[in-house]
Amino acid sequence: MRVLIAMVRDRFDIVIVGAGPAGCTAAYLLAKAGFSVLLVDRGRGAGSKLLWGGKAYAQPLRDIWPELDREAPIHRWVSRDRFSFVWGDRVLTLEYKLGRKVAFTVYLPELVSWMARKAESVGATFIDEVVIDEIIVRDGVVYGVRSGNDIIRANVVVDAEGINRMLLEKLGLASKPNPYSLSLGVKEVLSLDSKLIEERFNLDKGEGLAWLVAGDITKGIPGGGFIYTMRDSISIGLVLSIGHAADMAEKGLLKEHVSSLVESFRLHPYFRVYWREADIIEYGGRMAIEGGLSYMPKKLYTNGLLVVGDAAGLLVNTGYTIRGVDTAVTSARLAAETIVEAHNKGGFTEDNLRAYEEKIKRSYIYKELVEHRGIEDVFRDQFFFTKFPALATRIGAKLFESDYEEPSMLRALLDSAREEDISILRIIYKLGRVARKL
Amino acid sequence: MSQQSRLKQLKLEELLQRDVWDVDEDRHIEVLNQEGLPIKALIILCPMGCYSMAGDKLLMSYEGCVECGTCRVLSSPDKIRWSYPRSGRGIQYRYT
Repeated sequence: MRVLIAMVRDRFDIVIVGAGPAGCTAAYLLAKAGFSVLLVDRGRGAGSKLLWGGKAYAQPLRDIWPELDREAPIHRWVSRDRFSFVWGDRVLTLEYKLGRKVAFTVYLPELVSWMARKAESVGATFIDEVVIDEIIVRDGVVYGVRSGNDIIRANVVVDAEGINRMLLEKLGLASKPNPYSLSLGVKEVLSLDSKLIEERFNLDKGEGLAWLVAGDITKGIPGGGFIYTMRDSISIGLVLSIGHAADMAEKGLLKEHVSSLVESFRLHPYFRVYWREADIIEYGGRMAIEGGLSYMPKKLYTNGLLVVGDAAGLLVNTGYTIRGVDTAVTSARLAAETIVEAHNKGGFTEDNLRAYEEKIKRSYIYKELVEHRGIEDVFRDQFFFTKFPALATRIGAKLFESDYEEPSMLRALLDSAREEDISILRIIYKLGRVARKL
Repeated sequence: MSQQSRLKQLKLEELLQRDVWDVDEDRHIEVLNQEGLPIKALIILCPMGCYSMAGDKLLMSYEGCVECGTCRVLSSPDKIRWSYPRSGRGIQYRYT
């Protein structure tokens, strides 16, 4: 702790716990609205504890910072989205070329540092290296936060603590995390010259590619792989359902350490050609919400408290894209709006803060969450992440790896289905189910 | 490093050399009671390999922890005491 909190000030209008995308956004908007704001983070500088380098959607961020495109530490504007099914050495890939600047690749620590500076520039106080141990509630009203023996008073606390909801659990607002609602992301950062990245991935200067992969790279664990091109590095890794992976490990069905799965993905013959001379410059892991409504706490507000970002379970996973940064930012924007309105109504009572949950429910985040509800079940379905890639690559082998006879598409499909022991009706049913949820 | 050696599977210990920590003198995670813990899962899923067995005893080396929370999710507070390092110590991501 560089400065004793008490030396700064012992009371703020708003204390925000966690300088991630949600916390920084709330700090920026509330300081700009004229409140005294303290933003606290446990790391050394904003983002030093954040492992995330991927694709972020721009418009929800531009709504707050119109200068985003010009100023933010954007690595590449995503111009291509790819999706692959992998089975052994065989791979089926789909690519979509985008027509406009919708999303960019970024390292989240860089993005939140920028956001934290924005918050400071409009008057928010940012203190790092401080772990908040407790949100203090007295007589049913939030009183402030405690770090060790230091207490900072606040009229409103914004909980942006992230996926590990130690504070919310202590308050009884979130239950013990369910391992089946959470994934483990394990990743590597590969250093590669920006020109080589552009050549290998068919990108113009400054353009980027986002790539999701399903198939046996996860060794039967529900989940998948990801690849994001950064400015002069590539972010690759796997996302694995914690509950299912743990069950498999306990039953002896998974014996390899997760790092070895990521290394096999890096060295897969189809993928390694993109980064064959790259050095691994960082390695790490984090948890991620699987998606849907299952990680949302019972309530997002109480007297003097609002919950935003990952802590609120607000991550949209559609299967073809994952949105957590823009949803975090948007939830914080709605929380800030609610706080301003509650202030004008005379206080931060539960009644006045209830509007936050209503705003969330009217927002695109909630619509998406409801629309894609049940997507976790699709991902957990063996058919989707094992049978389907196996079938798709088998059909590919019949069509493209024939020495003499070329089968018709229909024959290739029927034969492959028979060999994989799947009925055509089941394929149609499963695809219909996937299409409804995606 | 030659291209050949870059296309070689790295061991976890080699991957860990890519990271930087400022290790706290106080351990922030501690196994209190290993009875009933999913030990194989902890060993295989902790991305940093912090869990290992010494004979029958489950060891947790907090020094290489990235504070991800996976072991917290797979256990309960009476079996694993889980908290964050103080004063900004612990993992210091440089890229991510």
